[in-house]
Amino acid sequence: MQSSAQTADEAIAREIERVIASEVDEPRLKALLESPASFDLPLWKLAVEQGWPGLSLPTDIGGLGLGWRDLAEVAQVLGHATVSLPLIQATVVARVLMAADNAQALRPHADTLASGNAIVSVALMEPGDAGLAPVPNLTLKGDTLTGAIASAPFANVAQLALVRAQRNGKAVLALVELNEAVTRHTAALIDNARAAASLEFTEAPALVVEGASALGDVLALSALMTAFEQIGGAAACLELAKSYAMEHKAFGQPIGAFQAIKHKMADIYTAIEIARGCALEALQELEQGSLSLEATAAARISASRAYDFAAQEAIQTHGGMGITWEGFLHHHYRRARSLALELGSTAYWRNLLIDQLVAGAKV
Amino acid sequence: MNPELDQYREECRAWLNENARHCLLQDGMTLDEEIALARKWQALKADAGYAAITLPCEYGGAGKSELHKIVFSEEEMQHRVPRQYFIISLSNALPTFLHYGQSNELKCELGPKAVRGEQLWCQMFSEPGAGSDLAAVRTKAEKDGDDWIINGQKLWTSWAQIADWGVILTRTDPTVPKHKGLSYFFVNMKSPGIEVRTLKRFTGDQDLNEVFFNDVRIPDSQRLGEVNGGFMVAIHTLMMERYAVSSVNAPLDEIIELAKNTKVGGEPAIHDSAIRETIADTFIEQQGLRNIHRRAVQAISDGGSPGPEGAIRKLLMGESLLRAGKLAMDLLGAEGLRAGSYNRFAKSWLNAPVLRIAGGTDEVLKNTVAERILGLPQEMRPDKGKAFNELP
Ligand SMILES: Cc1cc2nc3c(=O)[nH]c(=O)nc-3n(C[C@H](O)[C@H](O)[C@H](O)COP(=O)(O)OP(=O)(O)OC[C@H]3O[C@@H](n4cnc5c(N)ncnc54)[C@H](O)[C@@H]3O)c2cc1C
Repeated sequence: MQSSAQTADEAIAREIERVIASEVDEPRLKALLESPASFDLPLWKLAVEQGWPGLSLPTDIGGLGLGWRDLAEVAQVLGHATVSLPLIQATVVARVLMAADNAQALRPHADTLASGNAIVSVALMEPGDAGLAPVPNLTLKGDTLTGAIASAPFANVAQLALVRAQRNGKAVLALVELNEAVTRHTAALIDNARAAASLEFTEAPALVVEGASALGDVLALSALMTAFEQIGGAAACLELAKSYAMEHKAFGQPIGAFQAIKHKMADIYTAIEIARGCALEALQELEQGSLSLEATAAARISASRAYDFAAQEAIQTHGGMGITWEGFLHHHYRRARSLALELGSTAYWRNLLIDQLVAGAKV
Repeated sequence: MNPELDQYREECRAWLNENARHCLLQDGMTLDEEIALARKWQALKADAGYAAITLPCEYGGAGKSELHKIVFSEEEMQHRVPRQYFIISLSNALPTFLHYGQSNELKCELGPKAVRGEQLWCQMFSEPGAGSDLAAVRTKAEKDGDDWIINGQKLWTSWAQIADWGVILTRTDPTVPKHKGLSYFFVNMKSPGIEVRTLKRFTGDQDLNEVFFNDVRIPDSQRLGEVNGGFMVAIHTLMMERYAVSSVNAPLDEIIELAKNTKVGGEPAIHDSAIRETIADTFIEQQGLRNIHRRAVQAISDGGSPGPEGAIRKLLMGESLLRAGKLAMDLLGAEGLRAGSYNRFAKSWLNAPVLRIAGGTDEVLKNTVAERILGLPQEMRPDKGKAFNELP
């Protein structure tokens, strides 16, 4: 890592890391897990005061003007601390709104996202599908939406949702205000700290985000930035497992001296570094303006795998200590699953990847 | 394969069909309600001779064979009755007391109470520094006239908070190698100086406890086994149940149903090759285990011992549930994150880590398979042969 952009991303990420470390302690994170659809509103207010929602958005809409690499670094910080803030959502959605064919009409919404005056939920998944069907069931008639969306992060506190809907038999992206025409349903989830809700729309007024690439961009950018969040979480699991393996003893030696534990650490490390490699590769493509679906899918799949695996094996390394509520590892175990499923499960992304490879294969 | 046993199975089935419905677990029951129900079920079974099938009749058991117990367990598993509360009590702790206990009078008094579920026994082996390495326990018992004084801390004791009695492994001689200085006792859990603190698992279950011993005085008549011979007794406790019928299998049929009814990117999930692979692997594993089980039962029924391959059952259980739970959640997509009774798959995924740890971790079981079954040499053990109090 060497470019000048690096210094900026390091600085803001370290600052965010410092603020989170001083604000958020374990009891606060545990309290969020206790009841459905929880959100750390005080932390969000602080984030807004400090300008975090707009950190990777252009200055002309009120952002701080930093790039994707900075957001990637911040996403790792969030993942590492298991803090849920809708920063990836704000950035990705504002950018996509600004790049839309009807950017002018959408501009006010991009502004409120950059300032943090509104929260947006990226709510693409539908009930009954672990991925995205070519044609969604949610339907746009005229300029109103009718149908349902599966549980989506931040939907319980958001003022806006970005959804996929069908218009004349084709999938489009639509921005919808979460007002009276929308019902939110919350339920106990394995990870209650995601402020998640499923949404039901009855002729809810919506704005289509026009543009051929809008849909693909939202999915790819969300997946890539989430991959960095997953990598941050996985890295935290490895740190916890490693330090426990070095200090905790059995049979007269640190458990880290056992080959079974050493190999476990090496396997987690390998999974994380493959994911990091894939994510950085995709990030570089993105910075060069040519983010491919292959690179995105590789980052998404490998990061989901790495986080699930790291969390599960970090628990295993702790033995009985890994399974208590008081311990911290279950926060990661839960979050790993949330991040792996919220944007479509691995089976879906694997198909995207393979279809892409098959289409591009040169014989 | 055995007419007497077939007949017994029919009897069990008929009795269970008649009685289990009075003791079914309901969603949303409190711990107290479940425990009350478990006691009621235990008493019903005791009256019919199904509560402690292999224990001698004079202690409240049914005096029948291991095979009868397996048959009953298989049938009982088909009903949603409370089963978890008395397993350690009746399969490990109580039998050890009955085997090693010094006073027959006390055995005849306490045995039936435990069998009927009026009393519960817990097992206090593990400590903060002694889990896999059981012989490393530090809780000490010191001789004082005809009594022993116990000081120290136990950890992960299942159901200590409702236990009436407990068996405990303590250090009585720190100047000899760790296995050789341990003694085994039973204690009244209401004794002065015992403090129980309940821990919460991350699944919400509140079965585990820390137990603190502060100058707890017990008479020498509560010793089980020789002074400094406690490690052998502990092994006896752990091996007591030669063959436990496990009830935790990945629910393959339900996963196939799910894969038929959900989609991945608009396509039926059941057509996805990776999902098919996991389903096939799960089936193959279960098929192998079914046969291992069948052969074990046959061996016992022929008067022999089950083969060593039974050891892999526990090993595969946790991983298999983890894989199946994750697959089902993946199939459900965002809805797979729902918790509670709505989503039994998420529940089994949340529970899987415990199955890989409790009763021997995966890593330790793999070592056991490699060393005990395959005869491979042990890893270096720096504590071997050294006096316990000279270990670093
Ligand atoms: C739900 C539950 C119920 C329990 N109930 C009881 C009970 O009623 N009574 C009781 O006494 N105990 C009970 N236990 C404790 C249980 O027996 C221990 O948790 C278990 O033996 C593991 O010990 P530990 O937790 O100390 O982990 P440790 O032994 O500290 O293990 C930590 C890690 O090191 C690894 N490790 C340890 N030794 C080796 C080795 N030689 N080679 C390679 N890897 C190694 C382990 O696999 C694990 O990954 C219970 C535990 C649970 C989870």
